[in-house]
This record gives sequence, C-alpha cells and structure tokens, in this order.
Amino acid sequence: MYYIILSILFPIFTGVYLLVRKEMKSRKNLLMAAGIFFVISAVLVILALCMAGNGLFTLFNLTNRLPILFKIDEVSVVFSVMAVVVIVCAGFFSFAYMKHEGKEKRYYGYYLIVLGVLIALCFAGNLITFYMFFEVLTLSSMPLVLHNGSKEAVMAGLKYLFYSLSGAYMSLFGIYFLERYGNTLTFSPGGVISAEMAVQHGGILLGICFAMLIGFGVKAGMFPMHAWLPAAHPVAPAPASAVLSAVIVKAGVLALVRVVYYIFGVSFLKGSWVQYAWIVLTLTTVFMGSMLAYREPVLKKRLAYSTVSQLSYILFGLSVMNAESVTGGLLHVLSHGFIKGALFLCAGAIIYMTGKTRVDQLRGIGKEMPLLMWCYTIVSLGLIGIPPTGGFISKWYLAQGALLSDIPGFNWIGPVILLISALLTAGYLLPLTIRGFFPGADYDYGTLKKKEPPLIMTVPILILTALSVGIGLFPQIVTNYLSHIVERVI
Amino acid sequence: MNFVQNFPAVSILLCLFAGIISSGLKKKAARFVNTVLISIVGFLSLCTLIYVMGTGESFVYVMGMFPAPWGNEIRAGVLEAFTALFFCIIMLLSLAGGRKKLADEVEEGKTFLYYVLMDLLLASLLALVYTNDLFTAYVFVEINTIAACGLIMIRQNGRTIEAAARYMIMSLLGSGLLLMGLCMLYDLTGHLLMSNIKEQIKWVYVSGQYRIPLLVTIALLSVGLAIKSALFPFHAWLPDAYGYSTVSSAAILSSLVSKGYIFLLIKIIYRVVGFEIFYESRIVDVLFVFGLMGMIFGSISAIRENDVRRMIAFSSVAQIGYIYMGIGMGTQAGMEASIFHIFSHAATKSLLFIGAIGLTDVSGGSRQFIELTGSAYRNKWAGVTFTVGSLSMVGVPLFSGFISKLLFAQAAVQNDVKMLPALIILGISTILNAIYFMKTVIRIYTPVEERKYESITFKDMKLYVATLACFIILNVVLGVSSQPIADIIGQGLAMFS
Repeated sequence: MYYIILSILFPIFTGVYLLVRKEMKSRKNLLMAAGIFFVISAVLVILALCMAGNGLFTLFNLTNRLPILFKIDEVSVVFSVMAVVVIVCAGFFSFAYMKHEGKEKRYYGYYLIVLGVLIALCFAGNLITFYMFFEVLTLSSMPLVLHNGSKEAVMAGLKYLFYSLSGAYMSLFGIYFLERYGNTLTFSPGGVISAEMAVQHGGILLGICFAMLIGFGVKAGMFPMHAWLPAAHPVAPAPASAVLSAVIVKAGVLALVRVVYYIFGVSFLKGSWVQYAWIVLTLTTVFMGSMLAYREPVLKKRLAYSTVSQLSYILFGLSVMNAESVTGGLLHVLSHGFIKGALFLCAGAIIYMTGKTRVDQLRGIGKEMPLLMWCYTIVSLGLIGIPPTGGFISKWYLAQGALLSDIPGFNWIGPVILLISALLTAGYLLPLTIRGFFPGADYDYGTLKKKEPPLIMTVPILILTALSVGIGLFPQIVTNYLSHIVERVI
Repeated sequence: MNFVQNFPAVSILLCLFAGIISSGLKKKAARFVNTVLISIVGFLSLCTLIYVMGTGESFVYVMGMFPAPWGNEIRAGVLEAFTALFFCIIMLLSLAGGRKKLADEVEEGKTFLYYVLMDLLLASLLALVYTNDLFTAYVFVEINTIAACGLIMIRQNGRTIEAAARYMIMSLLGSGLLLMGLCMLYDLTGHLLMSNIKEQIKWVYVSGQYRIPLLVTIALLSVGLAIKSALFPFHAWLPDAYGYSTVSSAAILSSLVSKGYIFLLIKIIYRVVGFEIFYESRIVDVLFVFGLMGMIFGSISAIRENDVRRMIAFSSVAQIGYIYMGIGMGTQAGMEASIFHIFSHAATKSLLFIGAIGLTDVSGGSRQFIELTGSAYRNKWAGVTFTVGSLSMVGVPLFSGFISKLLFAQAAVQNDVKMLPALIILGISTILNAIYFMKTVIRIYTPVEERKYESITFKDMKLYVATLACFIILNVVLGVSSQPIADIIGQGLAMFS
C-alpha cells in the first residue's frame, strides 16, 4: 500500500529538493543526483505496481464526501509503464542535451515533479483526486515550456496555462454536477450512473459529459481546443517536448478513459449524441492535425502537429466504444508514446549536433548521423502504420473496430480518414529520411562529417525504438493484457 | 451563569481599555500591549468557542443586568466565537508581517497611534461579531469606520489622504443608509434588540401590513452594508485605500474590516429580518447580480492594473463578489459557502498583501510589474508565499480557495434558476483570476540578467518569514481539512435562528 504513496511522493519531494537547494558544486553532481532519483523513482513505481494489489488507499478526506484516494488497476499499469519508460529515457537524454540550454537544476527539479504527478494521475482512484493532480500537472509542466525564458516561450506558456485552466474548469463544472447526480466519484468499470439517474437526468448528464470531454480533451489536443499544443510543445527543450508530447498529453487521454469508461459508462453513452459528436471531433482533429503537420517546415512543430493528429487516433478508438477500437486506442497509447518520444529525441539530437531546426535544412542528415536517422525512419514507419511495428497493430485494431461498429456512416468514414491521415503521416515524416539518405547528385560529399550524437543520447532513442518495434513483433502480450481492461468496461 | 460567558463582553472592553491606555504609551509599549491584547482576546474567543461547542447552544449576555427589551445584549454562538478567533489570528499575523515595514511607513512619533487605532478596530470588529443589539452595532460600525480611516491616513502622503477622504465619504454614505434602515426598523417594531425585532417583524409580515416600508428597510440595510464592504458598483474607494496604506492596514482592511460588515449583514439576515422574509423580498437577487458583476469587473480591473498592490486590491472586489453571490443564492448552502469564503479570503488576501510587500521591498520599493521581475529570487520566502496565495486565489486544489469554489458550486447546483449563471461566471472569474495572478507569478520568477537590487537574507527577516510560514500553513489547513470548519459554520448558522 505504502509503495503507492512513496512512488508518488519520492519524485515530487526530490524535485522540490533540487529546486530549493543551492547550486551544486559541479554539473556532474547534479546529473548524478538526478540520475539516481530517476532510477529510484522508476523502481518505486514498479514496486508499487507489483505489490499494491487492488485495494483502495485513502490519503485524507478533502471534505466528508470527497476523499483523496489511490487505486491501481490495469489502466494505471498501462499508462504508468509508458510514462516511466519515456520519462526516464528522455531524462537520461537530457544529461547531454541540456548542457547547451542551461538552468539545469531547475529543469530536473520540475522534471521530477512532473514524473511524480503523472504517476499520481495514473494511480488516482476517484475523479477529485484526478482533478487535483491534473491541475498540478499543468502548473508543474509549465516551467518546462517556459524554460528558455524567451518572449515566444512565455507567450506559449501562458497559452498553455489558459487553455489548460479553461479545460480544467469545464471538467470541474462536470464534477460539481456529478457529485450531485452520481452515486460516487470513485472510478468503477462500467460507470457510476445508475439506471434511474440516467432516465431522470439523462439530458443534463449527457451535457456535462460533453463539457468534460471538451475540457479534458484540451490536454489531449482535441479540436476545438488544440491550438496551445503546437505552440507550447516545440518551444520546450527537446527532451521536455518529448515528455510533453508523448506522456503529458496522455494525461488528457487517461482523463477521457476514466470519465467515459469509469464514470459515465459505455451503456449510458453508447448511441447518444455525445458519442457521435465526439467521433466527429476526433476525426476532424485527425485530419486537420495531419494536414497542418504536412505544411509545417520546422521539424519540432511538425512533430507537435503530428501529436495532435495521432492523439485523436486514440480518442477515435475510445469514442467508437467497442472492444476492438478500445484495444486499438490503448495500444496506440503505448506505441505513440514510445514513437513520439523517440521522434522528439531524434529532433533534439539533430538540433544539439547541427543546430538546424527546419526540415529543408536537413539534406544529407542521414549521411552525417546514420544510426540516428535509422531510428528515425523505423519509428516513422511505425507512426505511419507499416508492419511489423507497433503502429500497424494499433491502427489495425482501430480500423477493425470502426468497421465492426454499427454506427451508420462512421463505420466507413472512420477507416477512410485514418487511411488518408496515414498517407499524410508518410508525407510529413518520410521526406526527412529520403532527403537525409539521398541528398541528390549535387550534394557536396566533401564537407561531410560524421556527427553521430554521444552514447547517452543514442541509447535512450534506441530503447524507445526497440520498444515500439517490440510491440509490433509481439502484440499478443499487450493485447492479452488490454483484453482484461476491455472485458470489464465494455 | 458560567464564568466563560463573560468572555465576549470582557474582550470588547479589554480592547477599548487597551486603546485608551496605549494612547499614553510609547511606541514599543503600545506595540507590546497590542500584541498581548490580540493574543488574550484570541485565547478568550477560543475558550468561548470550546464552551459553546460543548453546550451546543448559544448564550446571551446581558450587559449591566438590564433585562430585555431595555438592556444591551451580547450573544455568542459557535460561529461568532470562531469568527472572533479567526479575526484575532489574522490580525496578529498581519501586524507581525508588516511590523518591520511599519517603521518606514509611519512617522516615529505616530506609531503608538497606529496601535491605538488597531485596538479600537479590534474592539469594533468584536462588537460587530458579538452584538445582539442593532444600535450597538451601529455605534461600532462608526468606530470601525473612523479607526479604519485613521489606519489609512496614518501613512502620510498625498495618495493616502485622498484615499482616506474617499473611504470616509463612501463609508459614511453606507453608515447613513444603515442608520436610516435601523430607524425604520425601530419605527416598524419599536425594538432595537435583534431577537425582539425578529418576533415583531414576523408578526408584521404575517399581518400583511407595511410591506413596502419593510422592503425599503431591508434594501437600505443591505445596500448600506454592501457599500461599506465594497460590493461591486460601490467599490471606487477600495483600490486606493488598500493600495497606498501601510501594508498591515491593507491586509487588515481587506481581510477583516470588510468581512466584519458582511458578517453583520448575515447576522441581520438571520437574526433580525429572518431568512425567509429576506429571501421573499427578492433583495437576494439584487445581491446575486451585483456579486456576479463584481466577480467579473473586479478581475478585469485587476488585469488592467500595473501596480501589484492595487491589483491585489481589485482582486478583493472580485472576491467580495463571490461572497455576495453566495448570499444571493438564498440557500443555506450558499450562505455556508459565503461564510467559508469569508475565512478563506481573509487568510489568502492578507497573505498576498504581506507576501507582496516582501517582493516590492527587494525591488527598490517600486510596485510596478516591470521592476518586480525576478524579485522572487531576491526574496525567496515572499516569492513562495505569493505563489501559494495566487494558487489559492485561482482555486487550485489543496489550498483554501479551491474549497470555497467547491462549496459555491455545490450550493449553485442545488438552485435550479441561479445554477447556470453562477457556474458560468465562476468559470470565467477563475480564468480571469488565473490571468492576472499567474502573470504576476511568472513575472516574479523570470530571472533578470543584471543585478539591480540586493537580495535579502533569512537573517534580516526572521519574524517576517515566521509570519509567512504561519499564513501558508493556515491556508493549507483551510484547504485540506475544511470539513471541521464547514461543520462549525453549519452549526453556527443553526444557532442563529
């Protein structure tokens, strides 16, 4: 039991410790401390996952009816494993990368706090606990966006803050109502809305469900509240962008999983206008994100738009609400997490080694950094959805789910849009590979220098790449595990 | 009669005597008397609180043993005792936090007067909280006004004199309306004691006579007290008064003085007019609308402000709006939320004022945002405190502001008509709060390249840091374990009727 609380508080306290203590004597000490903290945090999370069991752990009572409590279930496991892997990898990557960004003590401090808060979100057992840490997540991840302190970063940070706070308030608005109409705010598979309540207050409950979808959807970059994401993610240092884009946005996805499947319940929402509206929003986002990414010249921004699009793949899966689509969505949580983490780290390594940010400047990059670009290419193929990578499996499930659903119209529009978006994904990711490896006849090979990044940068990228391919090679392990979740909630 | 029942009356008298004695004392002695006084009064209030919670019912203390309806009565229940205790804590902390600064702000020869005024202010606040007699209430409202004016004006510069004059005019207008209301009540009922008036009003109301005069009376009382507590359209005096007076005065004025009047209004609603009759009069709707407008316009003014002290002052307008919105909901839950917000806002606003002074002090005394850049690094404790206050104001969980908002929203969802406007405005106001508070927090944490101003070390400000720590603890306690306080409020309101 106490592992849960320890795994949440250890990163938060060590993060605060790094923030308040004096500047360390040397950079090496700081990195050593941060590295040790990362490893211990990861070990604690694994211990918590193994030892905690299914019990509820009540920390304290906010008011009589609102306890702050934690509970570990299968969804927590999926999200927390992904979060920890990506955060630790990006954390070690930062050791080299952050050398040229400076202010590292502050960076690692907030980084650790974000880790702790994310774990808390994964383990949260009821909506009020979740909301509490959701707000804290916004506030503690904002310094990562603000890191370089430029005017652009401050504006992006403020944009992030206000979108997130507006979203959080819309969700809070829903919580106020749920507290009155629902039996409890504790997450329970299948929802907490009783049949009687669904009949009596069906209209208003659907309305607040929609408000909560939009509200929590802000974090997941869902249209119409997605505009903060392409602004905020690219201005952060690359490893922080990786965490923002691969993990922190997943907090929004987690929120929607919790709200839809553990508070309102499939039986209440399936076939309602909320489901259709949500499908329309996700498909719009999928298409729009890909289009915007396609015409964006700056690599990190392109990746951020790609996040907007890919996250809505997940949300599309969740919104179709049948077994295959939910499996696909959750699978894509994992594969997108690893892939987008790897992609941003690649972009970071390129910036670190060459200082170039625009895609058209990167001709011949594959000749300079072959290993890195191989990783980039493999994970790109994963994001497009080419076998044998993880992305293929998840998109397969998503398309199958959509086709099997009996929602008129969407059962074929959905797969079509997914397919078009996959082509667009290829269109915006692969030019870097093509131009990187095949710079053309007029490329001056004389000036070519090997610029392979240091090992501490390459290894995390390799790990993430291996994981994303691993899911594709052995999907059975993951889908079997996800079937436990799906059985309970559908 | 139990010995403890003397305590409320004794604490009021103690304050008055301390004021008189201090007027003949030197600066340090006056300060000592004041500190001891507040501690003693706080302790007496605590005893009273424990006593009334033990007996489970309120008691009436008859001054000078003249029985009703001639005599003068004091009445103490759970809510009164708790409010008195809370006011003492906030006052003690605010004075401790601004103590060092006071030497710069007030002329050496006048410092003792500052403490005299504080003693009188405490006396009047206690009287407003405890009294069961409307005329006594009126007398102490005036004492309160004069003491508050003195506290604004004692820092001698042009702006404070102007601010004090404005405050005086608006405040006297409020007292005038209040007095007219009281006169009409006296005409209608022939009584000045709250309990007697209530009986008579019930009778008058049932008989169906004097409907219009009764309505006018309720309106006069509400508007009079609303002006004095700076409800939205009547808030013009507030930013200058809070913005330019000494920091302790600002903290105390915003967190206690305006709250004393609101407390009196709540008492009048429950103990004089009666909750049902007040609700029937539809004045609640007016208060509700003004409250909502205050929440928006107060925040908008704060966003446009370039001076951190005035920004915090404008934020008070918004927060007072919250309180009136809760009262205006016309439900028990709304009232409980309002009273909780009185405490929560008192704890947070004084914290913000005291925290902000630490930041302006390390920025060359300038209060403009541009100078405050990076000040949180120069005074770390003040920076942390200001951040905590801001988060609480925005309504982040774990701080007191979140519980206030939760209670307001819970009250709102029970009222079918006022639910949507209340929740929507609550949302907009949350965002607006976030805009100006987060802007400030980011500003004070933005590092500056050149070192223009000196940092301050822990050694120079031990008392200040201790105060800030107490404030933060108070805020977190209100935010984490709010249930006991909510229970006290519920119990206290039950004792009112």
